[in-house]
Amino acid sequence: MYGWIWRHLPGNAWVKALLSLVLVVAVVYVLFQYVFPWAEPLLPFNDVTVDNQ
Amino acid sequence: MAATTETDHEEHTGTPGEPPAVPRRRGRGRGLALAVSVFGELLITAGLVLGLFVVYSLWWTNVMADRAADKQGEKVRDNWAQDRVGPGGPGALDTKAGIGFLHVPAMGNGDILVEKGTSMKVLNDGVAGYYTDPVKATLPTSGKAGNFSLAAHRDGHGAKFHNIHKIEKGDPIVFETKDKWFVYKVYGILPETSKYNVDVLGAVPKESGKTKAGHYITLTTCTPVYTSRYRYVVWGELVRTEKVDSERTPPKELR
Repeated sequence: MYGWIWRHLPGNAWVKALLSLVLVVAVVYVLFQYVFPWAEPLLPFNDVTVDNQ
Repeated sequence: MAATTETDHEEHTGTPGEPPAVPRRRGRGRGLALAVSVFGELLITAGLVLGLFVVYSLWWTNVMADRAADKQGEKVRDNWAQDRVGPGGPGALDTKAGIGFLHVPAMGNGDILVEKGTSMKVLNDGVAGYYTDPVKATLPTSGKAGNFSLAAHRDGHGAKFHNIHKIEKGDPIVFETKDKWFVYKVYGILPETSKYNVDVLGAVPKESGKTKAGHYITLTTCTPVYTSRYRYVVWGELVRTEKVDSERTPPKELR
């Protein structure tokens, strides 16, 4: 999987490394901005109130 | 690069040839190796994502929440300051941004903005919320007897009640509003209770040992740390109120 991505990135090793870094940052951004905020309420770590439900 | 061309070459020569056993096993072996390596990489990815989630919950949400809380807190203080300038001016205080600040020296993390409601949307901004559901909190500013019940996050999202376990009986809890300091004294702690125990929010919280109506404050959050299995409850009772002076000198409990 990662090998496949590496082979399909253009340029020499330096360009590939730079592009990989950009991809990693993009993935982390999407996770922090969209995926984790969505997932968090579904997980039982942060319920602080007492209620009837 | 050399390796792939070599295997390609081998396959090309192998497929049309007569001995079928060798190339077929080779192809299957390659497929299996590929599947295993993709599976392994997926597992590594899953591990990294979970690790990132921990970073997100315990660090990033704090960063975001503190930022939001600071902004809203500043807005509240600005509002108070403006109202002070013109005493006869429009009394419409914007309570949406918050009704006041909670000071708990035992928790040692400065002032905590208090807003209406205990939904995740409110609490995720790094504030404490007063209950509107299932039991409506009685605001101290109303002057009526009742229970000022609050909730805030233990971890992440500002983690405003993170150190709730450091509060001991007799410790002060001070609630600051525009023109009054409400000084409470902790008299009851319930280190673990069911999340369905709504009675702790009652106007007279019986579990704390009180039987008569009074001016109470209740802090709730989750426990143990990093999970939400139980609830941690701290009760306090109003000792006195102090008028805010022009310098906003805090009451002696905070000095």
